[in-house]
Amino acid sequence: MKVRTFPVLGSFITVFKANFKFRVGFVLFLAIMFFGSFSLFSPEYHQYLYYLPTNHPPSLESIDMILGTTSNGRSVFWSLTNAIINSMLIATVTSMVACHIGLILGLVAGVKGGITDRFIMFFTDAFIAIPGLPLTIMLVMILKPIINLVLIGLIISIISWPWSSRMIRSITLSLREKDFIVLAQLSGMSTLKVIMFEIFPHLLGFHLTNIINTMILTIGAEVGLAFLGLSILEMDTLGTMIYWIQRYGAMLHNLWWWVVPPVFILILLFLSLYLISAGLQEYLNPRLRGGR
Amino acid sequence: MRRPFLRYVTLRTLIFLATIFTAFTLTFLILKAMPTDIVKNMVARSMAVAGAALGNPEQIQKMYDMYYEMFGLKGSLMEQYIGFVRRFLTMDFGISILARPATVREIISYKLPWTVALLTFSTIIAWVVGNILGAVASLIEGKKLSKFLQALAITLYPIPYYVFALILTYVFAYLIPLFSLAPVRMPENIFSLEFLLTILRVMTLPALSIIIIGALGWWFLSSRALGLNILSEDFYWYGEIRGLPGAILLKKYLLKNIMMPQITALSLNLGTIFGGALLTEMLFNFPGLGLLLYQAVNAGDYPLVLGIVSLSIIGVAVASYILDLVYPLIDPRVRYR
Repeated sequence: MKVRTFPVLGSFITVFKANFKFRVGFVLFLAIMFFGSFSLFSPEYHQYLYYLPTNHPPSLESIDMILGTTSNGRSVFWSLTNAIINSMLIATVTSMVACHIGLILGLVAGVKGGITDRFIMFFTDAFIAIPGLPLTIMLVMILKPIINLVLIGLIISIISWPWSSRMIRSITLSLREKDFIVLAQLSGMSTLKVIMFEIFPHLLGFHLTNIINTMILTIGAEVGLAFLGLSILEMDTLGTMIYWIQRYGAMLHNLWWWVVPPVFILILLFLSLYLISAGLQEYLNPRLRGGR
Repeated sequence: MRRPFLRYVTLRTLIFLATIFTAFTLTFLILKAMPTDIVKNMVARSMAVAGAALGNPEQIQKMYDMYYEMFGLKGSLMEQYIGFVRRFLTMDFGISILARPATVREIISYKLPWTVALLTFSTIIAWVVGNILGAVASLIEGKKLSKFLQALAITLYPIPYYVFALILTYVFAYLIPLFSLAPVRMPENIFSLEFLLTILRVMTLPALSIIIIGALGWWFLSSRALGLNILSEDFYWYGEIRGLPGAILLKKYLLKNIMMPQITALSLNLGTIFGGALLTEMLFNFPGLGLLLYQAVNAGDYPLVLGIVSLSIIGVAVASYILDLVYPLIDPRVRYR
């Protein structure tokens, strides 16, 4: 066996080499992030309204104009690059928070069983039963005075953690019956050690794909919120861009250079994340590779 | 043999009731934390209309009291909560603030058929079509048709459905004006052709958006993945070697095993119907519950919000309750625990 100094990097390279979907998705994702990183160079005036001429089609005269301008005189290029980064920030917050809360609660419920399990599951079910979008709307309205990107991520976490917790619990339950877990317990391993070294490694694959799927859902949820005017409208996210497009009726005025980029990037971003998660899933579960 | 079952049912019923109750309480508390005070807005509005005639502070206070009592917002938080629990138990939420003098029950029963019809219909069609296509695709894995379907699904699945809906409205209501998004007036006679046409005109686009994205996206992908899983199982292989006819392999070996998890997902999906589909309804100007709920939340109409949300909570909880009770009957591998 080769000694690997960076096991994570090593397995990443293996997946990257082995799976086509993962490769395409990852490269696409990097490309989008690279495009988004241009926002680092965004000039101060990119947030000012009516600073640039309105409804100007794309032209090569300056970098502000390269994707045209909006109906409120802003550069589509700078909006878009900032939007990518901001949307990804929200997605990262949610996927990190929601998936880990779900992971911990699901693991504890699955391993402990009994009263703990019942209580956690009852709490989870109560959250699942409240319709998600209205719940987020109410929370955003409550927190409106202090809202920021991270907070939006946290609010969306509230509707996404119960699903992770349910899935993790059901996987843990099926693992718990396996012989090696029973053996580990019988040989006197502490519960924490069993969870860390015997159960968690089997959950890692699901956990990773879950994180990525949650990112997709979060970006979608933010667009949904923004659609209703409930995101941070003065900041650029993919959602708020679509909100302003709707608001100014850009589609009906044929301002294609304003409509197409955010929608296109949104679809590309979803596609790249989906391919990454599908690729990971195929790599981790050989049965999904098709054929026999 | 009988006692564990009884114990399971009792426990599950208790949890079911507790879940509904907790979800209701959480919604109430969150709603209470919202800054909008609809009664203040209402009083301000009627003051603006009536002008100086109502300028007397005592009278204004009276008006406040009357409204607060009418909508169950009088007294301390605990008293209000108990009042709403009573309303919840009788399923009578009183008068809606937004649409007074109509009661919450009247408005909901007016909007409910629309939402339920649209979502039940489109969810089930999407489910059937998606699962059949997915099973077929897993059977002919590697052929051109399967690859085409998969590519289509992978492109459609990540598209958020409101973007898709926007494209649909743009094409079919603006470029080719087949459907209109203008609000409709329903013909009086329920059994006329005109009635049917109106329904078709209102429902086709939203249904189409849900069906296409649902069927060719999630349902297709999941049923194909399940199918591939089963095809690689030993029992399927053995069945093939034994020379079982293709029809039996398809029906009893493949479809039956795909159906199990998919039925779970479908029933949970159907449980969420009562919350409405806010964005779809908004985009297609569809007179459904989701939009109503959104308006109610926006205005701070407590009785209406709690009425719709309770309905939705009960829907989801009942779906998972029934599922948990029925599942061991359908799938012998699952035991009551």
